[in-house]
Amino acid sequence: MHKTLKRTLLYDWHVKHGANMAPFGEYEMPLWYPAGAREEHLSVITRAGLFDTSHMAVIAAAGAGTRDLLQLCFSKDLQCCTGKEKAPLTPGKCVYGVFLNQKGEVLDDAILYQCAVDQYMIVVNSGKGQEILYYLETHKNGRKTELTDLSGQIGKLDVQGPLSAKILNKIINRPDQVFANMRYFSFKGYFDEASELADQVRLLDRTPLLLSRTGYTGEFGFEIFVRPEHFKKVWELIIESSKDMGLIPCGLAARDSLRTGAMLPLSHQDIGPWLFLNHPWPFALPYNEKYGFSKKFIGSEALEKQTNHADHTYAFAGFDLRKITICYESAVIDQDGKCMGQVLTCVTDMAIGRHEDRVFCISSPDKPPGFKPAGLSCGYVKVDRPLDIGRIIRIKDKRREIPVMIVDNIRPDRTARIDIQKMLF
Amino acid sequence: MKELNDLHLPDDIRYTDDHEWAQKTGDTIKIGISDYAQDQLGDIVYVELPQIGSGFDQKQQCGTIESVKAVSEMYMPIGGEVIAINPDLEGAPELLNKDPYGRGWMFEVKPAGVSEYEQLMDKKAYLEMLKGL
Repeated sequence: MHKTLKRTLLYDWHVKHGANMAPFGEYEMPLWYPAGAREEHLSVITRAGLFDTSHMAVIAAAGAGTRDLLQLCFSKDLQCCTGKEKAPLTPGKCVYGVFLNQKGEVLDDAILYQCAVDQYMIVVNSGKGQEILYYLETHKNGRKTELTDLSGQIGKLDVQGPLSAKILNKIINRPDQVFANMRYFSFKGYFDEASELADQVRLLDRTPLLLSRTGYTGEFGFEIFVRPEHFKKVWELIIESSKDMGLIPCGLAARDSLRTGAMLPLSHQDIGPWLFLNHPWPFALPYNEKYGFSKKFIGSEALEKQTNHADHTYAFAGFDLRKITICYESAVIDQDGKCMGQVLTCVTDMAIGRHEDRVFCISSPDKPPGFKPAGLSCGYVKVDRPLDIGRIIRIKDKRREIPVMIVDNIRPDRTARIDIQKMLF
Repeated sequence: MKELNDLHLPDDIRYTDDHEWAQKTGDTIKIGISDYAQDQLGDIVYVELPQIGSGFDQKQQCGTIESVKAVSEMYMPIGGEVIAINPDLEGAPELLNKDPYGRGWMFEVKPAGVSEYEQLMDKKAYLEMLKGL
């Protein structure tokens, strides 16, 4: 049966500007624009890129019982989860975590924003709003919480790349105040005019924004939430005001290669309906070095019991840009040619390359002279045994078999955490 | 994505339903991929070409084209022997995007016969096929 795909508010803009559109989840989204995915990927690492991410789902949660409900359902311990000091989540901060089922399997990943004392916002993946909302409703058990699916009621766009703050500096009101103390995984403002937070971040024309120092590229940048009626205006304003800085619109292909190189999982591809254990994302769980988990939550018991039965997920990086295609025949194979697992993601990060024994990025401060990488294949594998970092394994599809190295980092020298003041000079 | 009207489809070459093109010059035939194919594939980052001297039947797989999106098979538009490959593609695979009928040619074949080439689609037939996609 033909299913009609949803379109974001920018659909016409994307088509008019030559985007190659393709289905993604419930939406028809741009894969790349005429500049091409390679240029878009490189642009985010060296300058800036703009992404339409309004296919993401947003849930608002408010009320005195909300924090308690989130402590039960969300994988982060909200009493000790932010910064190196593991401080409690407080208004203006956000955290990354997952929602698990009782079996310890991933329903979806999310960024949880605390807007005010009893007011939160949860951003989950495209098409997952209703499912996560239902999951939270099911576990309310009398807790005072009002849950609202805001999907489609917000426009979301991401400005990513080292010039992001300089670009926003030109279009927001009182940028010095907005950028003051704006750490990684913090946010200011709100998209709704009626909110007390709306005055924290406004455009020069007074349009209120929620501005979050987060993203899905591993590079310095922001996610912006705005009311739908202002969405296209904000998108065009950013494009117009950043022409001299080389910002270009970027599609999902660049988003996928950037996030893979940045060691970030794609929900329902790298994490999904299997035990959320033995993977490169332990920071999504409330580990307490001495006592296991610092809190009990849905799925935690299964994770604590099943430690020895879970598969192992690892990041890998190849030796040139050739990748394999995920298909029925794709597999990870051991030295005897037997299958030991599956390839979850395999893409090419076009900004990195090997020089002698090291991987460098085009933005690496100590890159070798004349370094012009063609890219390296990279991604994630899920295998039935533990493997050491540095181990060479082989992955294959129906066409080719390539050696890749198990690694604990893919694209080096990422900019996401750099002090915002340094990015404004 | 290019609209059909924006596609560059030269008149003097033939096309296949796998979106390759073939151009007869003298006794040999040059082969590459169409503007439609390169537009659909996106940035081409790696090309695997057949070896000089190797022989292929029509429709036999003879190479791969790797783009940011996927790795795709390249099929032989006509049976014959590969007599030359484009040496520039190893260092500059993006030529397939930038100049698919010119500097982005892929290889040259000495055809086994003449009939296979004559039966390939002309521009009009290829455009009709694209309209149906």
